[in-house]
Amino acid sequence: MNMREKIEAAAARYPDQRSAIMPALLIAQKDHGHLPGPVLEEVADILGVERIWVYELATFYTLFHTEPVGLFHLQLCDNLSCMLRRSEDLLRHLETVLGIEKGGTTPDGLFTLSTVECLGACEMAPVMQVGDDYHGDLDIARIDALLDRLRATAGQATGAADLAAAAPPGE
Amino acid sequence: MFEPVLLRNMDVPDGHLLATYEAGGGYQALAKALREHTPDEIVDLVKQSNLRGRGGAGFPTGMKWSFVPKRAGKPKYLCCNADEGEPGTFKDRIIMERDPHQLIEGMAISAYAIGAETAYVYIRGEYVLAIRRLEQAIAEAHEKGYLGTRILGSDFSFVVHIHCGAGAYICGEETAMLDSLEGKRAQPRLKPPFPAVEGLYASPTAINNVETLACVPHILARGPDWFRGIGPDKSPGPKLYCLSGQVRKPGLYELPMGIPLRELVEDHAGGPPPGRKIKAVIPGGVSAPLIPECGLDVGMDFDSLAAAGSMLGSAGVIVIDDSTCMVKVATRIIEFFHHESCGKCTPCREGLNWVVKVLRRVEAGQGAPGDLEQLEALCKGIFGNSFCALGDGAAMGLKAALAHFEHEFVAHIEEQRCPFH
Amino acid sequence: MVSVTIDEQTLEVEAGSTVLQAAERLGIEIPTFCYLKRLPALASCRMCLVEIEGQRRLQPSCATAVTDGMVVRTNTPLIDETRSSMLDMLLANHPLDCPICDKGGECELQDQVMAYGPRESRFRDAKRVFHSADIRLSPVIIMNVNRCIQCQRCVRMCEDVVGAVALGTIEKGMDTAVTGFEGSLASCDQCGNCVEVCPVGALMSFPYRYKARPWDLVETDTVCPHCGTGCQLTVGARKGEFMRVRSKWEHGVNRETLCVRGRFGLDFVGSRDRIKRPMIRRDGALVPVSWDVAGDYLRRRLSAVESKAAGGLASPRLPNEVLYQFQKLMRTVFRTNNIDCSSRWSTPFETLGPLVAGFYTRAPLEEVIGNDCVLVVGGNVTDENPVTEYLLRDAARRRQTTLIMLSARPSRLDADARAVVRVAPGAEAASLAAVAAALVAGAGQNSVGEVIADIDATTGGPAATTGSDGPDRLAALLLKGRSVTVLVSADLLRLSEARATLQQLTNLLRVLRVLGKGPAMQFLFDRANQLGAWDMGVLPAVLPGLRPVGDHAARTALIRAWGAEIPPEPGADLDAMLALCDKGRVGALYIVGSDPLMTYPDRGFVKRALDATDLLIVQDTFLTDTVGLADVVLPAAGYGEESGTFTNNEGRIQAVRKFREPAFEARGNLAILDFVAALRNQAMQPSMQGEIFREIARLVPAYQGLTQDGLGADGAFTKAAPGPPAGAFFASPPAPNAADRLMLVTGNCLFHNGYLSERSEILNTVADDPYVEMSAWDAAQLCLSDRDQVVVRSAQGELRAQLKVNRHFPPGLVFVPENYRDLRLNSLMRRGEYPCPVEVQKAHAAFATGVGARPESRGQGIAELPGSSP
Ligand SMILES: Cc1cc2nc3c(=O)[nH]c(=O)nc-3n(C[C@H](O)[C@H](O)[C@H](O)COP(=O)(O)O)c2cc1C
Ligand code: SF4
Ligand code: FES
Repeated sequence: MNMREKIEAAAARYPDQRSAIMPALLIAQKDHGHLPGPVLEEVADILGVERIWVYELATFYTLFHTEPVGLFHLQLCDNLSCMLRRSEDLLRHLETVLGIEKGGTTPDGLFTLSTVECLGACEMAPVMQVGDDYHGDLDIARIDALLDRLRATAGQATGAADLAAAAPPGE
Repeated sequence: MFEPVLLRNMDVPDGHLLATYEAGGGYQALAKALREHTPDEIVDLVKQSNLRGRGGAGFPTGMKWSFVPKRAGKPKYLCCNADEGEPGTFKDRIIMERDPHQLIEGMAISAYAIGAETAYVYIRGEYVLAIRRLEQAIAEAHEKGYLGTRILGSDFSFVVHIHCGAGAYICGEETAMLDSLEGKRAQPRLKPPFPAVEGLYASPTAINNVETLACVPHILARGPDWFRGIGPDKSPGPKLYCLSGQVRKPGLYELPMGIPLRELVEDHAGGPPPGRKIKAVIPGGVSAPLIPECGLDVGMDFDSLAAAGSMLGSAGVIVIDDSTCMVKVATRIIEFFHHESCGKCTPCREGLNWVVKVLRRVEAGQGAPGDLEQLEALCKGIFGNSFCALGDGAAMGLKAALAHFEHEFVAHIEEQRCPFH
Repeated sequence: MVSVTIDEQTLEVEAGSTVLQAAERLGIEIPTFCYLKRLPALASCRMCLVEIEGQRRLQPSCATAVTDGMVVRTNTPLIDETRSSMLDMLLANHPLDCPICDKGGECELQDQVMAYGPRESRFRDAKRVFHSADIRLSPVIIMNVNRCIQCQRCVRMCEDVVGAVALGTIEKGMDTAVTGFEGSLASCDQCGNCVEVCPVGALMSFPYRYKARPWDLVETDTVCPHCGTGCQLTVGARKGEFMRVRSKWEHGVNRETLCVRGRFGLDFVGSRDRIKRPMIRRDGALVPVSWDVAGDYLRRRLSAVESKAAGGLASPRLPNEVLYQFQKLMRTVFRTNNIDCSSRWSTPFETLGPLVAGFYTRAPLEEVIGNDCVLVVGGNVTDENPVTEYLLRDAARRRQTTLIMLSARPSRLDADARAVVRVAPGAEAASLAAVAAALVAGAGQNSVGEVIADIDATTGGPAATTGSDGPDRLAALLLKGRSVTVLVSADLLRLSEARATLQQLTNLLRVLRVLGKGPAMQFLFDRANQLGAWDMGVLPAVLPGLRPVGDHAARTALIRAWGAEIPPEPGADLDAMLALCDKGRVGALYIVGSDPLMTYPDRGFVKRALDATDLLIVQDTFLTDTVGLADVVLPAAGYGEESGTFTNNEGRIQAVRKFREPAFEARGNLAILDFVAALRNQAMQPSMQGEIFREIARLVPAYQGLTQDGLGADGAFTKAAPGPPAGAFFASPPAPNAADRLMLVTGNCLFHNGYLSERSEILNTVADDPYVEMSAWDAAQLCLSDRDQVVVRSAQGELRAQLKVNRHFPPGLVFVPENYRDLRLNSLMRRGEYPCPVEVQKAHAAFATGVGARPESRGQGIAELPGSSP
């Protein structure tokens, strides 16, 4: 299914097209990586809803990105339970080894590093979400191993298309 | 040893599959409900069970359902609150990942009780595995006729759709969830009208938490008296407790309502890490005011915790030991609320921003005389005046931290540094 | 009724009232920010919290309904503290840049801090700054996000009232910001209602930016000169220079809202395109002269044509007093009934007269659309009467009014309608007949048997068919309604079938009356004083008060009052006058404030006719095309330069006030009429505006007893005495031919509705370029796409403009707005033929930019205008 078909299928679940803006944005973001203006317009067009409504949602919710993000989005939880288990140390470590600050993207476009609010997995704190997957009970060694694995996945890909395909498993 | 109810399939391999669920008697309760009970009788059974909402507010579920008008001339909706954004909480995720059919069966029975033909499960978007498992389970249930038209040969038809959240804590607030489902920015709505009367698409809507709905098949199967027999009569039932923070065995525990907090933390979860002492515990997610060590003998149920000045909330129990700076804890909590404030009302949007600025300064050793008074005044301005409970929760949390650990705040200001560094 | 006690005072209020409303009734002030009377309560600012006995928390008075026996307190220390605390929090991040803020001095935040605020803030930390520079959201709207207090009035206004949905709110929490899609409001209505309702200086009018401090402005309450809705507005001028327009909640039909034309389209008063001095034609060219020289010249020319027929045309944007005086001058000095007030259509008054007399409802629009069923016929109310449209939307959304649209042009309001019947342009009469027939069929024979039979007999029963079920659906809704209002676009008068359309409208209204629906009817005029112009008798067949010229009693009464004869026969309307001109039979043609060369169908014909007129007198404010053909040009005061009254669509008469002096050598219209009469050795008595008003109030029945002082802030209603409709029902119109061609219609667009708006620099910066609108279906058939340059060609002529594909348009319909001078749209039209069959094709590449070469150059005949160059 192309993006339009996927969005139309999602919209069929609701009595009102406006409800489908969120699912449509999730679909569009999967397809495009992020949500620049023209994509928002396209979503509005497909659903026949006001453009400003789409823009409102794309900026209200933190999972939507109107700016590009790296291939691997490292989302480290720094909420209370993770903080109590020293997620700050992990953040500092990640900033050092990636050479970026929180919120930044590595120059090779591989990693974007963010901190996020509670991921709802405090039993395995500290936790980081990368793509669709949760990685729990982290410490510095595990972080390093994870980064190596991610780099290896990306390394196997060559062209840009491959790189996109190498993105963490999704739907 | 308490025999698990909600978690009974947790460690069963393939517990999320329909076959496993059916093998354990799954969907028998739905069949029984459709065969033996009218919708009103189910509402009554749930009322008799004294089941109270597990989402945080503890509102009696049967009573909530009874507010849904019988004849509305409009479709009715059931919304399952699976947004689980309250820091320290992960019970709903685990139910959906490991035993999604329990939830689906609960939804089907609940929808039958209120006369809804459509349900939306609002799951936070980060829960990718839970979403996949639930999608798969819905498909299976459809195939087997537990969902769809004329379920199990009855007149009852019911479909369940998943709606993924996209990262906003406020969507857990039930009316903000409705706006979010309608494709708007998630901001709480004025009440009245209450959702039961005018909810999703201005139609009657029941909104229930995942764990609440998961209790329903068991109430049907074993009867309200059994349910009421577990824990305090006014706040009964099996309960999921999420243990996290500075505790030896973090994890999800199923135990009776009303179990003493100390027993939960020290016996079941193994107490603080070696060589540490408990300083305070947050009993119900960060919205619940913390309880200092000396108060741990309180029972973990809605009424006992309310009487102790805190709340059961989402039962996200976060343990804080004596190595931790309480100013830092308070700052982190308020930063969370500040970040997640939807921005609708003045006290929460502006007040929390101000609080955060002062707290960060105090924590960094740049506090000034008068800062604590300022924080108290801000708490007063926010508490009771915010539009929804988010602002209240933040103010209550801060007030408790200030009340119980004032000396730590004072030390930061006087010494112009954090004594824990 | 329920009883409530607030601060020890007890009062009975209607159930459902809010605490805030009850407090207002008691004169107890409760501060608010997010509350706006015409919007549903949001309850987010928390300024209005009050104590209610038995409630744990303070409650928002704006959203709390009063219950019987409720005890409320608004004056406790806790409330004082809470208000102060809310303000303190709002100020913490507010930039406090009041000295350079346009809102300073009329800012609600400032005022509330004065009244309730903390005297000192404890806030010591750095303030949040979104953007250091203000954001230009559109050519007219600019935003300072730092000052925003998140009351959301603007966003709700834009979506709920205006229906534009251009503004929105992005981000959340502290980052929340109001803006347009991707930070732009380029495609919004530019109505500026968001600016008006902003309590602080967050949304601002760009044209007014840094121009004045409010206390330096002289403010004048007046009425908008653009459409017939007749919105009240307040003009702010500094040292006689126009600065801005604001509007007030308390006043008028519009209640604080305006459209782009009203809010931003008044700068035309300062347009450079003024006629500065009188001009006379010398050696084929117009040359500026003094008033004396013009007078001498005109006196000579007038006496030379004395024996020939005369005619007069005056604009329906002139005040009542000028219009009244104009027709009096024409009848008594020029001794003719050849008078008209529309340069765009003919007014078949023998049909229109009884319709207006029998059904026109002179009452507040709000009341009229309080009926539970409202049918809007013709036009595009969104573009032509935007503020009326806001009220209709509100009725549909919040009062559950059943809204029904029957028109050729789609409009934004269709989205809020319960039924939309799209008719082929020109088939309005047939559709209306079908609706009436369906009503008769649907009503059955029970109660109204005889009349129904009568209707059946004359109309031929349900024979009228339009080949769609639209009329049936529509009739079913009308039958369900308890009371019905019919709003009629004056656009229908353009149709060649106008007479038949009005007849069928009359039938429909009569049927509704028989069915007990108590139908109310108003026209939706696109000219500010169209109803006034009719009332004043600026028509060939009627005297002031809409009484036929042949009405002996009325005529004698006027003759006695005026002390002058009035010709006994109806005169010629504009079309007939032009035909007479064309035949060389008209001596003097006197045109006041009107530009028929631009607007009357068939430009070639109009030009020929005006050229063939012995003496063309044009009295105007601006240099119009028609001015270029005049023999004598008299510079007149423009809008805002003389006082008078307008009668709006509701029949509400309102004061139009002067806020500046006539520019250059322009004189007041009344003075000029006097001047002209004097040239014929006659005097117009009375001649002053106030006296003329009194004469109108004496001699025009609907205006009887009105006084200028009595108009007050909200105007006063003229009173009609609806006569019972007489005679048989009109026969059904012939079934319309299914058009196999594209049909061109015209009308106003949102940004323009006449040559005043075209002289507004601000409107020109926000308006689209000239365009041609058609359906996606037709465009696809013709292999055209949006924004293509296209040629529209009729049997008469052609024009080029950019194509706008509109997916709501029905196939077969082409729309070109009538107000772009450069398009010369009327050169495509033929007299008496409307809609106009056309072809549309892609413009040849060579012509692809802008408007192509024009058949005649503008301003022709004006050799040199030293008086008018900038
Ligand atoms: C700020 C806020 C966040 C909330 N988040 C959640 C949540 O994540 N999950 C949940 O079930 N309830 C949450 N709630 C509670 C819901 O508003 C609501 O009470 C609950 O979903 C009702 O279901 P229940 O009666 O089954 O508990 C939240 C409430 C507030 C005020
Ligand atoms: S308290 Fe106010 S700003 Fe905060 S989340 Fe609730 S409504 Fe939004
Ligand atoms: S606090 Fe990090 S997952 Fe909950």
